[in-house]
Amino acid sequence: MGRTKKDRRIQMAPHFSGFKPQGVQCKTGDDVCINFEEYEAINLCDYELLTQAEAAKLMNVSRPTFTRIYESVRRKIAKAFLEGSSINFEGGNVAFADWYKCTRCKVTFTLPVNTDKLCPFCKTQVISENN
Amino acid sequence: MIFAIAANGNNLSALVNQNFGRCEWFCLFDTKTHKNLFIENPANQNPEKAGCDAVEILLGKNVGIAIAGRFGSKVADMFRRNNIQMVIPEIQQTVSEITNQIK
Repeated sequence: MGRTKKDRRIQMAPHFSGFKPQGVQCKTGDDVCINFEEYEAINLCDYELLTQAEAAKLMNVSRPTFTRIYESVRRKIAKAFLEGSSINFEGGNVAFADWYKCTRCKVTFTLPVNTDKLCPFCKTQVISENN
Repeated sequence: MIFAIAANGNNLSALVNQNFGRCEWFCLFDTKTHKNLFIENPANQNPEKAGCDAVEILLGKNVGIAIAGRFGSKVADMFRRNNIQMVIPEIQQTVSEITNQIK
């Protein structure tokens, strides 16, 4: 049996579930599935323009592992572009960084360590974990 | 507790900026005195590390909570290390709407 994968830390999951090609009448080929760690790799490397070493540190994996994740997502995106398949975001071995939500104030927030779970605006305790 | 709100302009009707590092103004709101103080963000034109420089300025002002539409990963990491709370409003709000919620 192979070794189990370590959880990769990601800041936030994408707030939509994928992409569809335009002007395709009937489906050709399979959907491409990009998992959350790959989404975060593209976000860190190509959107926030970090180096791979910095991004690997943020995701709590080694630099070579990060490069592998990044390479795999680039190939998947290329495949989806060229074959006109849709992209779904799902799955992966991920641990979400702690973000919380208050439904009354409609805010998402982090909590400082060693404090009660309170909404910073309305001070109520009804907050849910966001992921 | 001092709140730092990333704002588009230096008045109370300005909207909360969607990006923490590149916002033009920060509104510092003190919950004890209920006073607003607008400071310019000198880092907003930096080619890189705009967010990190902005964090350092806010650390010097003893800010406890930062509010913006989005925090980059470097900024989020710095805030977590310095034990400062980050808040992301889900709807577009003006600075005065936020400060009214805090009061």
